[in-house]
Amino acid sequence: MKEGFHLSEAQWTHFLENHSEKYNIYAPVRHDKIIDYELINKVGAGEIDYNIPRPITPLKLFFLPVKENVTLDIGDPSRKNIIIGVPSCDLIALDLLDEIYLNESFPDPYYLYRRENTILIGADCYGVLEHCHCTSYGGNPYPTKNYDLVLSLLNDRVYLLGNNKKAEDFLDEIKSNTETSEVSDDDLENIFSKRKEIRKKLAEMNANLPDYKETSELIKEPDESIWEKYSKNCVSCGACAAICPTCTCFLLVDRPGFEKVRQLDACQYPGFSRVAAGGDHLKKLSERFKNRYLCKYVWKPEKFGSIACTGCGRCIETCIGEINKNELFVELASAVEA
Amino acid sequence: MNALPGIYKPLKAKVENIIEESPLIRTFVLRPEYEFSFKTGEFIELTLDGFGEAPFTPSSSPLERDKMDVTIMKTGYVTDRLHQIKPGEILGIRGPFGRGYPLEKFHGKEVVILGGGCGFAPIRSLMYNLMAIRDKLKKVILCYGAKTPEECIYKPFVSEVRSIEKFEVYRSVDHADETWEEKEGVVTVLLDDIQVNIKESVAVVCGPPVMMKFGTFKLLEMGFGEEDIYLSMEKNMSCGLGKCGHCMMGDYFVCKEGPVFTYREIKDYPNIWD
Repeated sequence: MKEGFHLSEAQWTHFLENHSEKYNIYAPVRHDKIIDYELINKVGAGEIDYNIPRPITPLKLFFLPVKENVTLDIGDPSRKNIIIGVPSCDLIALDLLDEIYLNESFPDPYYLYRRENTILIGADCYGVLEHCHCTSYGGNPYPTKNYDLVLSLLNDRVYLLGNNKKAEDFLDEIKSNTETSEVSDDDLENIFSKRKEIRKKLAEMNANLPDYKETSELIKEPDESIWEKYSKNCVSCGACAAICPTCTCFLLVDRPGFEKVRQLDACQYPGFSRVAAGGDHLKKLSERFKNRYLCKYVWKPEKFGSIACTGCGRCIETCIGEINKNELFVELASAVEA
Repeated sequence: MNALPGIYKPLKAKVENIIEESPLIRTFVLRPEYEFSFKTGEFIELTLDGFGEAPFTPSSSPLERDKMDVTIMKTGYVTDRLHQIKPGEILGIRGPFGRGYPLEKFHGKEVVILGGGCGFAPIRSLMYNLMAIRDKLKKVILCYGAKTPEECIYKPFVSEVRSIEKFEVYRSVDHADETWEEKEGVVTVLLDDIQVNIKESVAVVCGPPVMMKFGTFKLLEMGFGEEDIYLSMEKNMSCGLGKCGHCMMGDYFVCKEGPVFTYREIKDYPNIWD
């Protein structure tokens, strides 16, 4: 956290409403039990929910749309995206996405374009959801990396702290439109103590959960019985992958005119690894089920050095088979100990 | 952003000729709209416009730039349709992708090549390249197997290779007929008869998964080092860019770090032969 200021929530809302034509502004809005990103237009900025735990849609979908023609020119370059309220778990996930999509041998122009034209305003989480477990995997409930600005709403004041040049320009733009106040040491102290409180809560509620490294070792254990047991409730729907901030596998679909459409895919679907003569090393459902965890906790970290599960808990929340991977790992840990 | 570098956009290529190699295998002679170069063992993605795309390793010499052969067995969704096309049609090419054969490691060595069925396709490209550098090699022994004499592909090429100094070709078929004058049995039986100094040799294996498995085990039994056996792995390579995930084998993207691996590099991964 570097430079920043605070302003009244009303002024911030006013600023957003006035800039909703210049930028595509997305921010979390609550609808009953669901909190998700909405496109903010001239009237919607007052509806934004600040500092809530993560929205239901993972950040990746702003950079990797579910479906995209990757042989056409990219859309309107004149409007930048601003995404407000990005949780830390989704920001950490960008490490892996960048490794794959900005890899120097084949940087993906579509992903790159969107990354460059997006201002990410991360937010401290002032609450936890039932399955949040970022701290178990080395994360924190507040942005620590890959954000441009971080936002905290305390006592009706919006605190904005910048992290880079992109943030500086944006902060200048706000400053020239509104009345801002300097952030005092006491303000920072308030922000930090709130962070500590949430961090402590998360650590306590996940005290039994093995950490990332331990989980990686547990998955390498040869015993398959726990995997088979948990995969009995799996129906290969792929929801866990669709909603995961780090699952980015895709299918290339052909369209006439030698066009290709990139469509997000999942190793949970039958046929994901099938080859022409019928060979398929992920034919069995239980193998596909385990494959996703091998990928997240063993292979991706070995390959890229970035973590591939940030502890957002969305996959647990979304699973129609009520499979809780954290329960699986706790059970696996106790089975290995026994 | 205007002109995007087209990492997903295929280059157009005209089908100049189609050669029937066996009842199920055809070679498509392609002329790309621009010169196209690849290293032997690297692969391409071939697009049937609006229909589908599949990975193939070219079977022609990498020294040719204006023309490229792709030998394709009729065995699935895309290949069934490819077998219906006629000369003159336009296909799309993306690539080349991946890591091919490390020829510099073959220098000063005897090269034993074990091929089965349509696995001869990448091997033919490799052999054209080995012919061009034969001064640097001790010898090249090809052991090739097919199900029946009718299914043995590249017959003119085999005759040509047999006349080249330092090159030997042995063939077997699972089921011989009265016309067959060479060996009968699975391809690995050919390895029993070859004269090879294993300490000074490398091996290359390419063919159907079950043949690669038993071929590799046989080579290990003969004393080949795990790091001296080069396997051309077949996984579901789709994007070719190390992104889409379909070809992941453990922490490898086969499309990027492969398709050629030494046995040592992959032996500990699950289900490599499936």
